[in-house]
Amino acid sequence: MHVRSLLYFFGEALKNVIRHGWMSIASIAVVSITLLILGSFMVINYNVSLLAEDIKGQVQIVVYIEDETDEKLRSELQRALVAHPELEEVRFVSKEDAMERLKRQMGDRAFLLEGYEEKDKNPLRDSYELRTRVPEDIPRVARELMNLPGAGYVDYGSGVVEPLFQFTGVIRWIGFAFMVGLALTAVFLISHTIRLTVFIRRKEIMIMKYVGATDWFIRWPFIFEGLILGLVGAVVPLVIIFYSYQAATQWMQGNIYFISLIPVDDIMQELVRVLAFLGVALGVLGSAISVRRFLKV
Amino acid sequence: MIEIYHLYQQYNDEMIALRDINLVIDRGEFVFIVGASGAGKSTLLKLFLREVKPSRGSIKIFGRDLVRLRNREIPYLRRNIGMVFQDFRLLQDRNVYENVAFSMRVTGVSVREIRKRVPLTLELVGLKDKVFKRPDELSGGEQQRVCLARAIINRPAMVIADEPTGNLDPVTAMDILNLLQEINIRGTTVIVATHARELVDRLQKRVIVLDQGRIISDQERGVYLNAR
Repeated sequence: MHVRSLLYFFGEALKNVIRHGWMSIASIAVVSITLLILGSFMVINYNVSLLAEDIKGQVQIVVYIEDETDEKLRSELQRALVAHPELEEVRFVSKEDAMERLKRQMGDRAFLLEGYEEKDKNPLRDSYELRTRVPEDIPRVARELMNLPGAGYVDYGSGVVEPLFQFTGVIRWIGFAFMVGLALTAVFLISHTIRLTVFIRRKEIMIMKYVGATDWFIRWPFIFEGLILGLVGAVVPLVIIFYSYQAATQWMQGNIYFISLIPVDDIMQELVRVLAFLGVALGVLGSAISVRRFLKV
Repeated sequence: MIEIYHLYQQYNDEMIALRDINLVIDRGEFVFIVGASGAGKSTLLKLFLREVKPSRGSIKIFGRDLVRLRNREIPYLRRNIGMVFQDFRLLQDRNVYENVAFSMRVTGVSVREIRKRVPLTLELVGLKDKVFKRPDELSGGEQQRVCLARAIINRPAMVIADEPTGNLDPVTAMDILNLLQEINIRGTTVIVATHARELVDRLQKRVIVLDQGRIISDQERGVYLNAR
């Protein structure tokens, strides 16, 4: 296609958007509102998932080593842990380190631990703190580790971890289902709105056919029009979400600092991709498909 | 220019719209096609534009076989045929100039050429002063003139008018027919499908009478003939 025709088609599309002002506004409003609902839900969903991942990531396995375990067994245990394919992180915490940490955690009341610091009197044990590659594997891996030579008591928060994983799993599925549902609704609503804008102009298409316009000559302005409506319809919710999310993250930082939200830029990258794609694709496809129905004259 | 032999048009099992039509129309002719509603006038015009394909028989326009014409060639056929409709079929959201210019734009003519030719054509049909009016600001006769200007702007070899005076008062109707005659004198073939008896009788042109899908009369300098 020549640049000149491209400009002409785009110009025609722009003129049509303005000529049918109310219909354009209505279409853009439908696109914007559906994408705003979808986008808002995506923002919530991403943050909930992040939170769930965060919580899951904190779960770890602790393998305690009894004081009387000899060096040979200890090094055998270390080798086995380091070589374990499902473990991502293996960290040795000596009983002295553990005491230090406990003192820090107790803060003002650390004096209670006085007298327990000397090596012989330290009641804590050496341990390995482990993270698995997949948090959900923790209960199974932990049970396997119990059988390793040199391993004492193995703690992974059993009884708490399982329901937690179940809960985060359910949340993820609900979020996913909602997102798919909303996306389908958006597809349905937007394509129907675009089709309506074409439908009310079917007479125009017929006239074009009678004066000898080729199908593509008729189609291009409609396609560009769909593109414009879809793009503007996507930009509106993106701007709204950007500013409100920015405000939300700032407010959270000041008030509920222990929950960290996904940074604005990261989440916008994803949203721009999804919403702009949906808006443009549905606008263009909706137009192209509905024009085709009226081209058979 | 138009050659039709043994043409049948059937829409479904019972309804036969045209039966055994044989017809030759030469370059530069002025032809009326008359007949009651349902006689087959509209179907015949639709065949000229390749809106429908004949069920049987042959039809050639400008030497092109319309039975074999591919769908993507239809626009180029139509650019050689100017259409005038009873209900004008103007783009309501565009002014007179844009309505006429659009028809040229479609053919890929340059903007400069459009700017030159549209005013000339509008002058020819007597609409010089209404260039920027929209269709709803015009009278019926004026709208039909726009439609006429649109039909001839690409200098087609043939103009087909489907009941062009159906929505007009007798005086305005005569104006439109005079314009069609003028177009014809300049060398364009004109085919007019109509009910308007007085106009047909007054103009003394070739008249083809259709009845129940058959040609029952085809006379030079003919008159409106009532079917049975």
